[in-house]
Amino acid sequence: MDSRDATTDAEIVQAVLGGDVERYAVLVERYRDRYARYAAGMLGSRDAAEDAVQDALVRAFDRLADCREPARFAGWLFLILRNRCFAERRQRQREGVLPEEAADSVAAPERSDRAVEERERTRVLERALLRLTAEQREVFVLKHVEGLSYEEIAQRTGATVPSLKMRMHRAYDQLRELMKEQV
Amino acid sequence: MTKTYHPEVKRLLDGELTLAELAPELRAEGEEALRLMRVLDRAPVTLSAELDHRVMATVRQRARSPAWRVWRWLSAPREVELRLRVPRWTVWGGALAAAAALALLLTRSPAPVPSDAVAAQREVVFVRFVLYAPGAKRVTVAGTFNQWDQNAAPLVPAGTGGVWTTTLAVPTGQHQYAFVVDGRRWVADPAAPAVDDGFGRRNSIIAVTTQGARTL
Repeated sequence: MDSRDATTDAEIVQAVLGGDVERYAVLVERYRDRYARYAAGMLGSRDAAEDAVQDALVRAFDRLADCREPARFAGWLFLILRNRCFAERRQRQREGVLPEEAADSVAAPERSDRAVEERERTRVLERALLRLTAEQREVFVLKHVEGLSYEEIAQRTGATVPSLKMRMHRAYDQLRELMKEQV
Repeated sequence: MTKTYHPEVKRLLDGELTLAELAPELRAEGEEALRLMRVLDRAPVTLSAELDHRVMATVRQRARSPAWRVWRWLSAPREVELRLRVPRWTVWGGALAAAAALALLLTRSPAPVPSDAVAAQREVVFVRFVLYAPGAKRVTVAGTFNQWDQNAAPLVPAGTGGVWTTTLAVPTGQHQYAFVVDGRRWVADPAAPAVDDGFGRRNSIIAVTTQGARTL
């Protein structure tokens, strides 16, 4: 299967629902990496992101008949992944897993071209990000990592722009405080 | 010393202001905030190549399960949600209202209840039929609900991917049906169970109730 396949998402969804299950591989290839950075940002590691993306793709297949707007499969898949990420964070909280434990393999692998000091600041920032609430972290990741505008984030998550701004501004303050604690 | 950012610095972080637009006394704080953002890791995250295989292996397994087939069939028609149910009181109420209106307008005695109003009491359910038939020129569906007329219910292509679909008003009850591809090839619905029709063909079966359509 090839993600450069010109078939639209809607056509593939209809084909899969019509019994051609193998066509789902096109959607898998098309979206496997698109939201990986979001999931890694939310969960703090590439491994956790991979599990989340895999679960979301399987869950999307299970519920494909519920996808009321197949042309908007990508947005629908994002919501499934988002729920999965929030659920894992809630579970971690229940189990008392410290954010730092999950942050060890945060998306900041060793890079020879990055100064040690900068790498350390990145690590500290990633740890601080994991201490934000899931909602604060999400808006931060979507805006500053994924580069979306508040309006685009509102479209994806269903939240209003003022509430997103409020979350973000609290996140800025909290990050500043956390960074000062850790540096 | 406060650890919260000044509101104008937050606007800077939001991209609504530039550093030069900040008041001079806020620039140091603004620079500090921007330094924080600069170290943020925005590198793409690539997942392992094995992920595709794992997902598809699970998907194939799920697709073989009867539960998924039933769920797919049961769920798909709900996208339409155009179930037509005409309660008896509505029919009679509508007929009486029409009769009263006629009486007022024409100063005649009330009109008789239209004969088609009685027919409207029969319950029908809108059922969506879908067939993946790439390369087909024409697809229709024929069954007990349209007296096996293979020209009565054509499907239309949903895009260019080979998926054909139509939504039909089907009377409640059990029905057998099959798709007719290009006017000559009879194809059972892969999403529904089928029975031998005694003539070497397979007919699909659905039960249409007021709760929706389901496979047997």
